[in-house]
Amino acid sequence: MEYIITILTFTGITLIGVLGSYMVTGLTGLFSFGQAAFFSVGAYTAAVLVKDFATPFPLAVVAAMSAGLVAGMIVGYPTVRLRRDYISLVTFGFGEAIIALLNNSTNLTGGAMGLSGIPRYTSFWVVWLSVAVCLTIVAGYKYSKYGRQCLALRSDELAAKAMGINVNRVKLVTFLFAAAMTSYAGVLYAFYTTYVEPGSFGWIVSAEWIIIVFVGGINSLTGSVFATFLLTGLPEMLRFASEWRIAIYCVIVLLIINFRPVGIFGEFELSYKWLRQLGKKGAKAA
Amino acid sequence: MSIQQLLNGVSLGSVYALIAVGFALVFNILKFSNFAHGGVMTLTAYIGLAASLFFSRWLSGLPLFGATLVSAALAGAIVGIVLERMAFRRIRNNNSPVIYYFISSITMGILMENIVTIFASSTFYSYPKFFELSVVELFHVNIALTDLLMLVFSSTALMILLWVLYRTKIGLAIRALSFDVNTANLMGMDSNRVVMATFIAAGILGGVAGVFLGINYTLYPQLGQLIVKGFIASVIGGLGSITGAMIGAVLLGVLEVTLISAVGAGIAPVFVFIIMLTFLLVRPRGIAGVIVQEKA
Amino acid sequence: MSKLEAKGLCKAFGGVQAIQDFSFTVDDRQIVGIIGPNGAGKTTAFNLLTGVYPIDAGEVFLDGKLISGLPQHEITQRGLARTFQNIRLFKGLNLIENVMTAADPYSSYNLADVFLFSRRKRNREKEVRDMSRSFLELVGLSGLENEKPENLPYGLQRKLELARALASKPKVLLLDEPAAGLNPSEVQEFIQLVQRLHDQFDLSVLVIEHRMEVIMTLCANIYVLNFGKLLAHGTPAEIQNNRDVTTAYIGEEDEACLL
Repeated sequence: MEYIITILTFTGITLIGVLGSYMVTGLTGLFSFGQAAFFSVGAYTAAVLVKDFATPFPLAVVAAMSAGLVAGMIVGYPTVRLRRDYISLVTFGFGEAIIALLNNSTNLTGGAMGLSGIPRYTSFWVVWLSVAVCLTIVAGYKYSKYGRQCLALRSDELAAKAMGINVNRVKLVTFLFAAAMTSYAGVLYAFYTTYVEPGSFGWIVSAEWIIIVFVGGINSLTGSVFATFLLTGLPEMLRFASEWRIAIYCVIVLLIINFRPVGIFGEFELSYKWLRQLGKKGAKAA
Repeated sequence: MSIQQLLNGVSLGSVYALIAVGFALVFNILKFSNFAHGGVMTLTAYIGLAASLFFSRWLSGLPLFGATLVSAALAGAIVGIVLERMAFRRIRNNNSPVIYYFISSITMGILMENIVTIFASSTFYSYPKFFELSVVELFHVNIALTDLLMLVFSSTALMILLWVLYRTKIGLAIRALSFDVNTANLMGMDSNRVVMATFIAAGILGGVAGVFLGINYTLYPQLGQLIVKGFIASVIGGLGSITGAMIGAVLLGVLEVTLISAVGAGIAPVFVFIIMLTFLLVRPRGIAGVIVQEKA
Repeated sequence: MSKLEAKGLCKAFGGVQAIQDFSFTVDDRQIVGIIGPNGAGKTTAFNLLTGVYPIDAGEVFLDGKLISGLPQHEITQRGLARTFQNIRLFKGLNLIENVMTAADPYSSYNLADVFLFSRRKRNREKEVRDMSRSFLELVGLSGLENEKPENLPYGLQRKLELARALASKPKVLLLDEPAAGLNPSEVQEFIQLVQRLHDQFDLSVLVIEHRMEVIMTLCANIYVLNFGKLLAHGTPAEIQNNRDVTTAYIGEEDEACLL
């Protein structure tokens, strides 16, 4: 039971990270390989503040999210104006730079040895409450002018500009929002595991989140949630083939790309309306 | 800055140029950032190691070094072919959006890295010592032999590539395709063949780069992450320009050597990143100054 | 009084002078046509007006105010909307969302409203949705709100582009070959639609078209471009009898073939 709770808690934290990737990649079509770096920015900021400066936890959370915003601004501002390939290259570089920075400010972060002895302030309930809040907010974002503008510029940037959409601004807002949310997920992580190290937030983590979004269905929030369970659960299921785990995972993704390119859920969203229709159909059938 | 440092920087830059150009070739044709290129470098670097151990029974010195490079380059070409067939051919024929190329390339990158981890485990390997001599004196400047070889072989590889691109029929086809895929197809060009040729060329460059990286940094499964050097060089040079990528790479090499001696190797990537961002703010089109714009 | 005015537009791509010293005016509530052979620079002119490409020389005024040099989205928000020659709809969005997107830049609710699901957001969303629905009805697409644009036949996609352009509250509407790919009866219908929208919204319209029946029926004033230069300018009757124009289109001595 203990074990399952732990797994579910980690799944919840991953899910918040995936939601960030969903916003940046799924909605807006930008490939950010820096999401995991924002995760570590949040984790380290809060951990150092609480541990070394005795900052109250809620204040540390706010500081961590602000740090994520600042980092997002530094990376995002120069790049959103450019062709979208730049954002994937620059965020990749950002990820590497953050790891180098964490490794080399040993006094503050413990360097490559990691930072241990962080108090355990988060629990299963805190994490899943956060997930619920984040999901609601992201869903609200998707079904607002912001979400529509994101989808529009993902599909055709030039046409979006011609419709009066301030493309750069919408991209930056989305990128920053995701950065702040991912930093928050980082805080949850640090104060759950009580230990963080620079090596665990490489580009592979960001890439995995993007893959999860994609496998779930590039437009579908429901798909992202489902795929998070599936793909964080999958490694557990494949434990018997531990070495080959990632290889199998990759092959599955390749099969999906080639043979079911819309992802599992396509653009489908689970909604109250859909459930009601399903109920009606069921009643008819009966 | 001493001439010594400058030489070091230029030779490091020449290896970065191999990475950046391998990346830029594919970018030019398919218009997406090929993250699998890092995996290609890792895989070929290990294959090169295996080859060097195999050939060391009969060869030594320069011939051994040459045999290693050629095997890695050949392996790179084969990996390029497999990559194109497995990850991109179907997507391309489906006319899928760029997003799919991205996903496919990251997945292939992770897959190749993982295959290396499975077969070679996470231990560090290093190439055998190819030469007795480690330092040569050139115009009263001491230069490490490996640096000199890197410079010579990388520039040769790049020269050959430029010759192929600008003096041969297939090179012309590659340039035409990078300009406009649809028109090239309408002109009766077999785009599958040209794309394949591009992946082969990129693979060969990846193979040579892989060996040099292996010699420089020892071998480990995450070696491919050094592709970030290629990215930074491309961004500085101007995305989509091959000559820009070369110039950007040499600049990056010199910059890095200078920074390492000034602030230390660990923190240097942070400064490089900041410089790149500043560059993007001031001159977003890069040195080459081409801007790839969507057509209205 | 002139609604849209361009003075001495110039644009070169490399060594090719795509547009050379092109000036024109569109008066209030006037429909003006631009015609010319392929490659004459018509679409380039649109791209200069809407800010897709920076202008080499020249100025554009909307309602007497300088709009050239502004970013694209601002030019649109000032009241210059366009459709595209090779239809560019938003693929991930359904029909009504496509139209709503063009109205979204005028929605003033902010992120806080989104997070708190505020009344302001809900009211505005409903308002935009209702408005967009009425635009869809206007162009004859009612009942298809939840369809995907890529599933529509070509003619309807053209109409959707028109509805979307209307939602961005234009003062001047730029139509880039709106009748291309339509069959003759669709063309007639389209002409009537543009006429109707023009009357209903007091629009000024600038239209590029190859189909002469569209230009000759709709436009009060026609500009003819050839190799990036203004070749002729006048009423439909004047253009039809202009010798230079016939020559540019079909070569010498073949007037009978013009229409």
